[in-house]
Amino acid sequence: MTIEYENIAVRLGGKDILTGTTLHSHENKIVGIVGANGCGKSTLIKTTFGIVPYHAGEIRIDGKSIREFTPRELAAMIGYVGQEASCAFDFSVTDVVAMGLFARRDKSKQHKKEIVAAALEELGISQFADRSIQRLSGGERKMVFIARAVAQGADMFILDEPTNHLDISHQLFVMDYLKKAGKTTLIVIHDLRLATHYCDYLYMLSDGVVFAEGPPLEVLKCENVRHVFGVHGFAGVSTQGVLDFSLFECGELGCISEIHEVHEHEVHKDHAAYSAHDSETIS
Amino acid sequence: MKLKAWHTFLFVFLTALMVVSVISTVSIGATKIPFQDVYGVIIDKVFNGGEKIAAGAYETSQYKIIWQIRLPRTLFALCVGAGLAVSGAAMQSLVLNPIADPYVLGVSSGASAGAAIALLAPIAFMEGQRQTTAFAFVGALAAAFVVYFLAKRAGGGKLQPVTLLLAGTAVNAVMGAITSYLVFKARSPEGIAAVYNWQMGAIAAAQWKTLSIPAVLVTAGTVAFTCMGSRFNMMMMGDEDAAAMGLRVRLFRSVMFIVVSIVVASLVSITGIIGFVGLVVPHVVRLFSRTSDNRIVMPMSALFGASYIMWADAYARSVHGASELPIGIVTAFIGAPFFMFLMIKNGYGGSRKK
Repeated sequence: MTIEYENIAVRLGGKDILTGTTLHSHENKIVGIVGANGCGKSTLIKTTFGIVPYHAGEIRIDGKSIREFTPRELAAMIGYVGQEASCAFDFSVTDVVAMGLFARRDKSKQHKKEIVAAALEELGISQFADRSIQRLSGGERKMVFIARAVAQGADMFILDEPTNHLDISHQLFVMDYLKKAGKTTLIVIHDLRLATHYCDYLYMLSDGVVFAEGPPLEVLKCENVRHVFGVHGFAGVSTQGVLDFSLFECGELGCISEIHEVHEHEVHKDHAAYSAHDSETIS
Repeated sequence: MKLKAWHTFLFVFLTALMVVSVISTVSIGATKIPFQDVYGVIIDKVFNGGEKIAAGAYETSQYKIIWQIRLPRTLFALCVGAGLAVSGAAMQSLVLNPIADPYVLGVSSGASAGAAIALLAPIAFMEGQRQTTAFAFVGALAAAFVVYFLAKRAGGGKLQPVTLLLAGTAVNAVMGAITSYLVFKARSPEGIAAVYNWQMGAIAAAQWKTLSIPAVLVTAGTVAFTCMGSRFNMMMMGDEDAAAMGLRVRLFRSVMFIVVSIVVASLVSITGIIGFVGLVVPHVVRLFSRTSDNRIVMPMSALFGASYIMWADAYARSVHGASELPIGIVTAFIGAPFFMFLMIKNGYGGSRKK
């Protein structure tokens, strides 16, 4: 199952946010969307559920316009997690995750319990099941919201900065989870190192249009990063192909893409193994 | 105790409390009527078609006080309490604001303006009380209508919690100004007093025949809100999340606003403004039930709100002898301090204890 955004144009408050953005997810792959703050990344994915209206273009799921689906049918196909992970009211973690079941047709009570328990288990937050959502930290809450999307049982994920609020081990946990889940995934992501590691394909947005697209290391070329973010480099992939916190100065150490050329085979080895390695390096 | 068992206990307790409250508050008043007589009359009338009463088992005057004066009033108080409380819970979910009340849509100020027009009009269009009720009802719905479209316009076609609250504030101010202007220009002191009294709320006007509409609306509203509980829960997570979970957010909010407005307008147009019920009761319920789950909070709010207003009315009509205390004063005196207590306890504004 794939989702495609075709020439999406969004105008909010008289300001053009997106001006014909075209972007496709890849079957069972993680596609990342990167770009500077305010370039329209979140706006684009928010058009999916009509949270942000678009005045031109079309969104299609497996070639079929999303206007042909009811919101509930959409929710059964797409597990969406927004950027904010807060709630003004008091719900137990189980209650929040169980809300995801609204999208499902299967209504048997026992089955519901199992789905919720399984979702909590998968995200490793079973111990919070009876805790109040308000008494969790921002990162823990984020995990709960992802679990809710999992409980929707959708074949696709769309996530707006899934690693935001999370500590490094949970960032890797979530990204590994998404990788393992192997669903068609679209994520807005700010951390270019994680993007390099986990995304199979990247879209780089700039001023509401796609500025570059392709495999991560091609997209995150020096000139692109400089153009879009106005910085000369970022803490990137080291020559060992694991997370490295040194800053790659363009022009001094060379561009990311050059490193990529040398170590492509290593970078694209088994991701699970890499993140295990990562955790070790970090702890 | 497991939360589920606790909820069952609370339901049983609140239902029992409501039933006991009906009988107890009927027995309270200027003439004290024994508990068992009240019970006897109600049981006889409901289950035996009033055989014993016809046979003269109870004094006619007592029977009349119980059946024709106090019981309709108590049952109306029950409806008002249940309706305001459940509407408050619904409104808090719809505008994503735990300190919203059923009046945020301008229903109360619109009703006031309508009532002021009716009470101060130089000529009567309808028979006394009915004119006030009709005008207040129209005023309430008109205000809600204006707030709704103002908010929709300001939100670029979308109903958003913040614009709704702002639109509500603006319309409340305008309606308040209309009421004040009418009072200022009014000639008769009686009319001014009537407007003033109306704004403080009273259950007094209830009769069997005026009871049916509010009773039906409140019952339907409570049942509908409870059945929609899981949808209200989703609304509480915010528009983005609710939409992503498959809810038609805008449609749901619009329809529910209309339902809440009609329920509240039907009550307020008869009673005048009774504050701090829709605001405080759902909070008390959330506090004791230890959840915000609307499938629990909605019915419990209705039950608790019903008992609360029955007692508040019993107090209002008995504490001051012949002249009744306006019930709005009672609910404000109890509700407002309690609200302050909740505010400090829950730490709204960010000091919530982890």
